Amino acid sequence: MAPGLRQFTERRGDGAGQPVIDTDNGEELMLMFREVSIVIGNGSPESPGTLYISTKKVLWLSDVDRTKGYAVDFLSISLHAVSRDPEAYPSPCIYTQIETGEDEDESEGSDSECSDALDLSKVTEMRLVPSDPSQLDTLFQVFCECAELNPEPVEDNEEEHNWIFSADQLADETAEVEDSEWNFSQNPTSSIGHSNGDHDLVRTVLELQINDHRFEDAEEMEHEHESKGRH
Amino acid sequence: MLFFSYFKDLVGKEVTVELKNDLAIRGTLHSVDQYLNIKLENTRVVDQDKYPHMLSVRNCFIRGSVVRYVQLPPEGVDVDLLHDATRREARGG
Repeated sequence: MAPGLRQFTERRGDGAGQPVIDTDNGEELMLMFREVSIVIGNGSPESPGTLYISTKKVLWLSDVDRTKGYAVDFLSISLHAVSRDPEAYPSPCIYTQIETGEDEDESEGSDSECSDALDLSKVTEMRLVPSDPSQLDTLFQVFCECAELNPEPVEDNEEEHNWIFSADQLADETAEVEDSEWNFSQNPTSSIGHSNGDHDLVRTVLELQINDHRFEDAEEMEHEHESKGRH
Repeated sequence: MLFFSYFKDLVGKEVTVELKNDLAIRGTLHSVDQYLNIKLENTRVVDQDKYPHMLSVRNCFIRGSVVRYVQLPPEGVDVDLLHDATRREARGG
């Protein structure tokens, strides 16, 4: 489910500026760090680039090669840590583990392949090496704050929509009324649906309950669906 | 919320956090938030042969959703207190 690491090359302006982020869905740029190298898996450091941290993801864009850049959602970052021990890695860095949804073992032993052939979605480790190590703690803090902004999405909400008949939801989900009227009429506690099984009557009553806010609500719903589609 | 409050009481104590990818990290519990994201200090990896590069990271933030187990310090577990608290939580009050 987690998308893991991926290519990212969408930049603003002439393809040379800041990364294009999803401001429509509330994504904001939190921080920009110049002169940061990136180490993917066990690979060698890639030429200094600029690190961007948004409220949704970590982005790294090469300063040299405009077509080179990576992104990983905070949702996919299992852990991040400050690594200062030269035995662990020669340069002080932010160490991250990435959840790929793949079996761990698959990514092992692929070191010998050249980096072009590297399957980014299987990368489980990433290091970010700032040229100025004194920035590490700040970087770590921002990582923590943004990780907390991205809790696991709650997935089982959708199921419930067909069953709950609060007034709000009736207004929200006029489209689903057709499907759900059967549940409604089968509900023994509902005198309306139970009385004679007249579905048109049920619908009429439902429509009567819909207040004038329905169009606002409908728009909100659309918005929500859009955002779900993109992530 | 029960576990959130419980883990908050463990701040400052040594715990071992086992991740769903089998990595186990031992360290001092620095903080925990409502999503059970866990911050450890003075961490060390339990199985160092398997994860040599994680030999020593000083601070570590672990995403709550990837945690499989948290091994607690025995002195941090008041069984009776937990018993009562879980019962209350189950009753919804």
